[in-house]
Amino acid sequence: MKTKKKNEDILFEDYLKRLEKIVHQLEEGELTLDESIKLYEEGMNISKLCLDKLNKAKQKIEQLVIENEEKYSTKPFSIKKEEDTANGV
Amino acid sequence: MVNYTEAKIYTVSRITKYIKNLFENDYNLQNVWILGEISNFKLHSSGHMYFVLKDQESQIKGVMFKGNNLSLRFMPQDGMKVKVRGDISVYERRGEYQLYVKEIVEAGKGELYLAFERLKEKLKAEGLFSEEFKKKLPLIPKNIAVITSPTGAAIRDVLTISLRRFPNLSILVVPSLVQGTLAAREIAKKIDFLNKHFNNLDFIILSRGGGSLEELWAFNEEILARSIYNSKIPIVSAIGHETDFTISDFVADLRCPTPSAAAEMTIPDKSSLVNNLNLLNSKLNKAIKRNLELKVENINSINKSIQYQGPENKINQYYQYIDEFSVRIKLRIKHQIELYEEKIKKDKQRLDSLNPGAVIERGYSICRKIPGKEIIKRLNQVEIGNEIEIIISDGKMLGKVDKKEVISK
Repeated sequence: MKTKKKNEDILFEDYLKRLEKIVHQLEEGELTLDESIKLYEEGMNISKLCLDKLNKAKQKIEQLVIENEEKYSTKPFSIKKEEDTANGV
Repeated sequence: MVNYTEAKIYTVSRITKYIKNLFENDYNLQNVWILGEISNFKLHSSGHMYFVLKDQESQIKGVMFKGNNLSLRFMPQDGMKVKVRGDISVYERRGEYQLYVKEIVEAGKGELYLAFERLKEKLKAEGLFSEEFKKKLPLIPKNIAVITSPTGAAIRDVLTISLRRFPNLSILVVPSLVQGTLAAREIAKKIDFLNKHFNNLDFIILSRGGGSLEELWAFNEEILARSIYNSKIPIVSAIGHETDFTISDFVADLRCPTPSAAAEMTIPDKSSLVNNLNLLNSKLNKAIKRNLELKVENINSINKSIQYQGPENKINQYYQYIDEFSVRIKLRIKHQIELYEEKIKKDKQRLDSLNPGAVIERGYSICRKIPGKEIIKRLNQVEIGNEIEIIISDGKMLGKVDKKEVISK
């Protein structure tokens, strides 16, 4: 099964919540120097991970072609024009 | 003659209540479907509907309260043939029995509608609609599938809106029949197929544009409902228009009113996410900068107080103390010396006044015996004939004692 279970499994929204919390804690400003630098580093790291997550996927539009129960292939799919779809739903 | 004292006498409201109970306890009159034609229809400003349901021979008054008629998919009209479901009871104020309507179905569409209702009740009882089985969709989908007609407006809307909101998205279009007797089975099979072969899909959108109840019927079939329920991949239903509800909508993990809405609801707006991240980022930078500034301020003020209390300061203080002290000592010594000088001066004056030389100068003289130089102070120190010397200011005289004579004072 899936063995890589690192950052992939942490949801974007969880990261976002953590980042918001870090910003809040730093804004409160009642931390030691060590703590605040540690938090800052964590925050920078998270915001980079978030951006990575947003940019990771690539645009890909494909159409599924099922050949039988087990076999399938894909082919590029393009959005057809209005007149082609007149009979469609 | 009637004996009034023995007969049971009811008030009007008491007997009316009794009659009302008769109606309400008769299950044949509760939750009953009645076929008839609407007449005298009135929609009151309160939102309640009043009408008469009739056929050739009879009529019954009907009322449909606002709470029930909000879900009506059409506006009842006089002359409309309908099937009505409701409870028969008594309106006590008027002493009239009437039908309290829960549901009205146009008679022509009745069969499908009843089938829909039956399946809905059945699946609901089985728990297929229950919230606890609804899967959560990820905020940032990467891979999604859309089961739809590949040529319809629906897929065009979904793709256009999705890519506008999140340009780098991978969308798998899964063509399928979406109407007709084969559609439900085909869609169900495709859901199963995706579950079997695509474990990376974030969710599947079932999409179909608007249509009549018959056209949308595939989405009311049990086989599809069960496939949606069994899908490990979350299913989003996007079928027909705002007002169309299908069984698929109830089973799906998320129901969207239209295909366009499905794209709006499930695909995040990337630019606002990026903006939000940037905002958090700049807040983060500002906060750490402010934190560091505070620390530097702290260090500066600690530094200052260390300088104030530290050894360097102590030594300087001692130096100053020593300086002050030495000045004081110098003053003290100088004063002392002055005092001594004064004293010496006075002593000298006193000494001067005691100098025998000075006394002799004033006319006194010293008389000494010659042998022994003993100063003669009393007569008994000398005998007649002793040699003596008399010292005066500028020399001495020698002589002999000729005579002793006591001077009485």
